Amino acid sequence: MRRTALYDEHVALGGRMVPFAGFEMPVQYAGILREHDAVRKRAGLFDLSHMAQFELRGPGVAAWADALTINHVATMKLGQARYNIFTNEGGGAHDDVLFYRLEAERWLLVVNAGNAQKMWEYLRNRPAPGVTLTNHHGEAALIAVQGPHACAIVSSLLASAAERSSLEAMKYYTCAPGEIGGVPLLFGRTGYTGEDGFELFLPGEEAPAVWRRILAAGAEHGLEPAGLGARDMLRLEAGMPLYGFELAEDLSPLAGGQRWAVKFEKPDFTGKAALVAQAAEDDYDRIVALSLSGRVPARSGYRVFRAGEAVGEVRSASLGPSVGAYIATALVRKSASALGTALQIEVRGALHDASVVALPFYRRS
Amino acid sequence: MTQPDGLLYSKEHEWLKIEGDVGVVGITDYAQDSLGDIVYVELPRVGAQLKQSASVGVIESVKAVSDLFTPVGGEVVEVNTALDADPALVNREPFGGGWLFKLKLADAAERSSLLGPSDYGALVAAEH
Repeated sequence: MRRTALYDEHVALGGRMVPFAGFEMPVQYAGILREHDAVRKRAGLFDLSHMAQFELRGPGVAAWADALTINHVATMKLGQARYNIFTNEGGGAHDDVLFYRLEAERWLLVVNAGNAQKMWEYLRNRPAPGVTLTNHHGEAALIAVQGPHACAIVSSLLASAAERSSLEAMKYYTCAPGEIGGVPLLFGRTGYTGEDGFELFLPGEEAPAVWRRILAAGAEHGLEPAGLGARDMLRLEAGMPLYGFELAEDLSPLAGGQRWAVKFEKPDFTGKAALVAQAAEDDYDRIVALSLSGRVPARSGYRVFRAGEAVGEVRSASLGPSVGAYIATALVRKSASALGTALQIEVRGALHDASVVALPFYRRS
Repeated sequence: MTQPDGLLYSKEHEWLKIEGDVGVVGITDYAQDSLGDIVYVELPRVGAQLKQSASVGVIESVKAVSDLFTPVGGEVVEVNTALDADPALVNREPFGGGWLFKLKLADAAERSSLLGPSDYGALVAAEH
């Protein structure tokens, strides 16, 4: 079991450590609901150093990456971040990722922790001229500050007024280099919570000091450390997919609700033909969002029914404190997927009402 | 973690308080802490006949569904309806307001298989 550079910090903060994707990570500190509340109302601090960071360099990267993914890579501007999915020949997802274009020929690619090895092998086995890959998994750290107060907190750590106003002016899904206390790092105005916030990419050995600085600066704002439990609840409310649940090797971006990211106008990419065919036939099982009527929680794997007929199964499920209901995603047949469809979820042998709603469940104001 | 005197404890982290021929059942501070934020409790029905150590309900936290076992057998005479609206009461007051159900004790001898406070404390310490 591996540990991130921040392991000791988590333990000192009372983090409850659990195995996750080969790392010991904090699932919670003070409590999942409390951490969720902190992120929605003030700010939360997350260690995401278990995720893999790959550096992509060279003149060949854009075209190479465009041939392997559904969304545009070559058209990314300097300082832009973009969501993308690497697909297989069947149109299913190898992983969903974020590309950050740091320079004309230098990208940071952030990959899910659980897919780190798979994705590294996959990319390494596809060498191309003008493409150099470096794997920083385990050495590079990633710290996220998320919530309405995140900008004020991170800004307060910058040395000059010019740096502060640059940071505050950053648009969502952009990135820029900066420094905190002399430590050079990359700021991304990105996140997985549906709130404003920043993700900080920095060398692992600098992470503990920067983490502690953020905690100190955040104290007056009510910043709290937040773990994986809160992270999952927040991302589900925000309508963001989790690999393995809404996307998988056998669950395409069309089925998973990420059709917006599939750029069919790209000349070709792995899985394009399969996705074109899938879109044309339009008969596939797909992910829907469910809002449950009652107080009984759904769980992953529970069966979903419509008028007595089994139509699918629950994928993600959670209490949605910001929504005032239990929420879930489910993979259901097309005929059960229209907005407003009344469905039932089987919980311990009894059926409980739910209805198909639009994503996101929660949107920040 | 506390385990008050005057209660008996099960290895499944329930407590039992004897009040005459009625037993009050709840889960311990260690159990509520392990579960995390409790969001839903499914209790046995009043009138249900429970067997010692049977799974009689469910406690759901944000993270997981857990079976609720009964430390002794008997007929359920009351359940804590306050938990409908406020399941987190189990987290806040596991030995007090967060009690789960009361039953009319079927067999006094069943208590001998339960643990006293210090033995339960040792069990919890060993599980850490």
